[in-house]
Amino acid sequence: MIPAIDVAAVAPMIPVALGVLCLPMLDTALRATPELLGQRVSAARRGTYLASASVLFLAASLLLTLNAFSAPPRVFNPDFEMVKMDGVALFLMSIVLIGGMLTVLASARYLEHIHSNWGEFYVLVLSSVTGMMFLVAASDLIMLFLALELMSIPVYALAGFRRASLRSNESAVKYFLIGSFASGILLYGSSLLYGATGSLELSEIATSFDPENALDLVGAGLVLIGLGFKISSVPFHQWAPDTYEGAPTTVSAFMATAVKVAAFGALLRVLNVGLAPVSESVYGVLWVLAALSMTVGNVMALIQRNTKRMLAYSSIAHAGYLLVGVIAGGEPGVQSVLVYLLTYTFMTIGAFTVVSVLTRDGAELDRIDDLSGLAQTRPALAAAMSICMFSLLGMPGTAGFIGKFLVFSAAVQSGLATGSSSLVWLVVIAVLNSAISLGYYLRIPATMYFYPPRDDAQPGKATFFEGLALCACAAAVLLLGLLPHDALPGLSALLQMADVNVLQLASDAAASFAH
Amino acid sequence: MATSLDTLLADHLLSAIVFLPLATVLLLALADGLFRLPETIWRYTALASSLVGLLLALALWQRFDPASSGMQLVERAEWIPSWGIHYSLGIDGIALLLVALTSFLLPVVLLASWTDIHARVKSYLFFMLALQTGMLGAFLALNLFLFYVFWELMLIPMYFVIGIWGGPRRIYATLKFFIYTMVGSLLMLVGILVLAWLHQSQFGSPSFEYYGANGGTGILDLSIPNAGGPWWQRQGFLFGVFALAFAIKVPMFPFHTWLPDAHVEAPTPGSAVLAGVLLKLGTFGFVRYALPLFPQAALDFAPWIVGLAVIGIVYGALVAWVQSDLKKLVAYSSVSHMGFIVLGLFALNPQGVSGAVLQMVSHGVSTGALFILVGMIYERRHVRELDAFGGLAQAMPVFAAFFAIATFSSVGLPGLNGFVGEFLILLGAFQTLPGATVIATSGVILSAVYMLWAMRRVFFGPLANEANKTLVDLGLREKLVAVALVIPMIWIGVHPSTFTNPMDRAVTELLETMTRRGADLAAWQGRDAADEPRLAAEAELETSR
Repeated sequence: MIPAIDVAAVAPMIPVALGVLCLPMLDTALRATPELLGQRVSAARRGTYLASASVLFLAASLLLTLNAFSAPPRVFNPDFEMVKMDGVALFLMSIVLIGGMLTVLASARYLEHIHSNWGEFYVLVLSSVTGMMFLVAASDLIMLFLALELMSIPVYALAGFRRASLRSNESAVKYFLIGSFASGILLYGSSLLYGATGSLELSEIATSFDPENALDLVGAGLVLIGLGFKISSVPFHQWAPDTYEGAPTTVSAFMATAVKVAAFGALLRVLNVGLAPVSESVYGVLWVLAALSMTVGNVMALIQRNTKRMLAYSSIAHAGYLLVGVIAGGEPGVQSVLVYLLTYTFMTIGAFTVVSVLTRDGAELDRIDDLSGLAQTRPALAAAMSICMFSLLGMPGTAGFIGKFLVFSAAVQSGLATGSSSLVWLVVIAVLNSAISLGYYLRIPATMYFYPPRDDAQPGKATFFEGLALCACAAAVLLLGLLPHDALPGLSALLQMADVNVLQLASDAAASFAH
Repeated sequence: MATSLDTLLADHLLSAIVFLPLATVLLLALADGLFRLPETIWRYTALASSLVGLLLALALWQRFDPASSGMQLVERAEWIPSWGIHYSLGIDGIALLLVALTSFLLPVVLLASWTDIHARVKSYLFFMLALQTGMLGAFLALNLFLFYVFWELMLIPMYFVIGIWGGPRRIYATLKFFIYTMVGSLLMLVGILVLAWLHQSQFGSPSFEYYGANGGTGILDLSIPNAGGPWWQRQGFLFGVFALAFAIKVPMFPFHTWLPDAHVEAPTPGSAVLAGVLLKLGTFGFVRYALPLFPQAALDFAPWIVGLAVIGIVYGALVAWVQSDLKKLVAYSSVSHMGFIVLGLFALNPQGVSGAVLQMVSHGVSTGALFILVGMIYERRHVRELDAFGGLAQAMPVFAAFFAIATFSSVGLPGLNGFVGEFLILLGAFQTLPGATVIATSGVILSAVYMLWAMRRVFFGPLANEANKTLVDLGLREKLVAVALVIPMIWIGVHPSTFTNPMDRAVTELLETMTRRGADLAAWQGRDAADEPRLAAEAELETSR
């Protein structure tokens, strides 16, 4: 008995999944082909072809996702709600796909220089992206767990992709151990919730949730802890700095953005759909987590000497700011989280990509001092890095400010509506933390512009793909910062789709969320 | 054809003024990327652009109607309508003066720094003109969001100017400047958000517009309680966060510690613009936002603010007195003079506020001139220690003459600009804050002490130091700059009504708005019903003058 499923409902995921299947074959075929289009297929060129193919698969998925925005939502399985392809899911899927594309673009040359240019990289990235796409749409606990694992396991392997590097191996082992632990906790929590409520679907769990029942509460708590690990919120953040520092730089970019985006998607859905009856008490706990994440992240980042480690702590801090938006809740809160995740993806991948571009012949220039005088040796890279840094600290005119503005705005709105000051206090804490973050974000442009270049410095040069990725990030940061309302009309005209108004999309998605 | 261009310009004069500098450097950068332009092209184009900006400011002055109330030449375009964020620009009398000051200082500063900056000149010009756009935008913005964007964006060019071309401790100084200023602004952001969403709860939709668009409501129409309700919706908190951001910028004691470092370490053009214009943004913020929006809280806080202003005046003067570095002396004199301006503002009567606004312009010109002149001697000798000089009047008589004029202007000699502003401030402040005014007047004496003593040590006495004997006097370019700076000094000093006329209406409106929104200005000014006839007679006398 085949259930009456509508495969077209999950059409956006199909190209990426196909990519996972096709890319290994493409890799094998390329290895067997000595010459293609009149040129010798070297390892580097093979990498370029595979990267291009990956981008094509991701782009196909992105097209289908953007198409699904304007079409009415389709139901995959009418009897059992496993995935909900609503506005929030589609929005986050787009972000994840864009993150995947930028990672792949940045990796083609980078992998060659760290002597790890194997085609499996792209297979792993696409598998992880498939998992992420299902994760943000997952509306039952099994799907949640499956998608989480499908997302995470490739990333464990990606973290250790630089096999010859001890740091990379260490990063992979740490991430794997802690990540598996987190998934286990999440699974246990899910089983408790199932036991207590008798259902796996998030919406049905909400109706049978009994706030007095200990089993329910413990289950909910464990699920949140599992997700907390994935978003690297304090106190579940300890793995992040080591993992980001040791993993290959483009993988760190991927982990810092796409993984976090998908995990936040899952968190939003669990909180707003599954745990709606206890959202008040959950928000209380999240308040503490948000405040701690921001503070610990920012304070620890101040003392870092390694760019990737500093960006890891910065991403912990941003998880804190995002949690403020999650707590604000309601339509403005969800909208703010969605837009923040979009802006955050661009600026973080931009920053990591600049670091990866500097890599040359196995030497990763990932210390902050290595950026000395970059403004004079690589002015375009320095400009891109500065734009990303000013955006991360929330300078008006950049996308980072729009994200923070929306989150704080939602919190203030919520505070005004409920009359409680706790959210406003959180905004004050967030704002003071933004001030603290100036201390380390400003260090990067200062090092690049105010210091002379080092004599022995041999930074790498960007290739076309990396240049494309960086331009896209910088342009997105500035466009979203100045014109968030119509950030993509040109692109949508190009794709002959309805006017993609970022803020409106997010707002609509938030409005129809959990209804 | 000509008339349509004329009307196009007239309709968008403010936007043109704001974005001309940035557009110029963006075009230059684009052309540079394609053709590799030589530095001289950059220099001349930037200078020409700044002169066009000055002409536009003069056209603006001519178009401005001193008699009409409210904002003029308003431009409005939708930006993010769902939140009431619009691109709104408008000008009133006070902003007019400050825009004129900013537009005047840039070409002077660019001309003064012609040979001063020789490394990475293109980046320098980029940042200076971008800074100009930021400052002009902040003066002209009518939407709180837009204001905040310009307020913060100004920091980036200044950060780079100090950090790249500054002195030995420039990195410390620029980081301190950036972080200090931004901390204040971030707290102000919370206040702005609260205001916008308060607008939603009171009028149905959020708005960052200062004045309502098309007869609608704006932030100025909000009723914000001074007591009762949650602490973060009260005037006290909101005034506090706005005032903190502006107090750091002014800078008021004890938030002034970024200024000496930033001014000393910045290159001459940076210091001149920093002291000439950036500091005025703090006091402008008080006048435009903090005072009219939260008048009752302003009155509650006023004794403290006046106290800090007076401390700033005396403290700044005393510390300036003991400085051995000429640039640091001028920097601390800035702290002292800005204290006067705050004192005048918080007198909250027409003379005090007018004096404060006029002094903003005067101080911009005098201190700008002083920093530029110090820069000229630094360019020759590469030291700024007072004991490295002595008897310079014999080697560089023209320079000494101009420095003397700038000194007297700063000190407040009648006939020059400093006197008019200071006199009005003290006159106004004495009516409402007699005690504070007495102490503040000592600041006038102290400023004469330290400035004249410094002048004596630098210019008069024997020409002992060998290095000083071979100094070359001012060249043609430098004389041009100096004359350009001296002209407004004399004009403001001799014919101040040119400058006070445009702002009269705005000053009266400020006080009216404060009264309308619930501030008991009469009580603050110590008036009661018995005084009314006398005051009415005095007002008659003034208008007939």
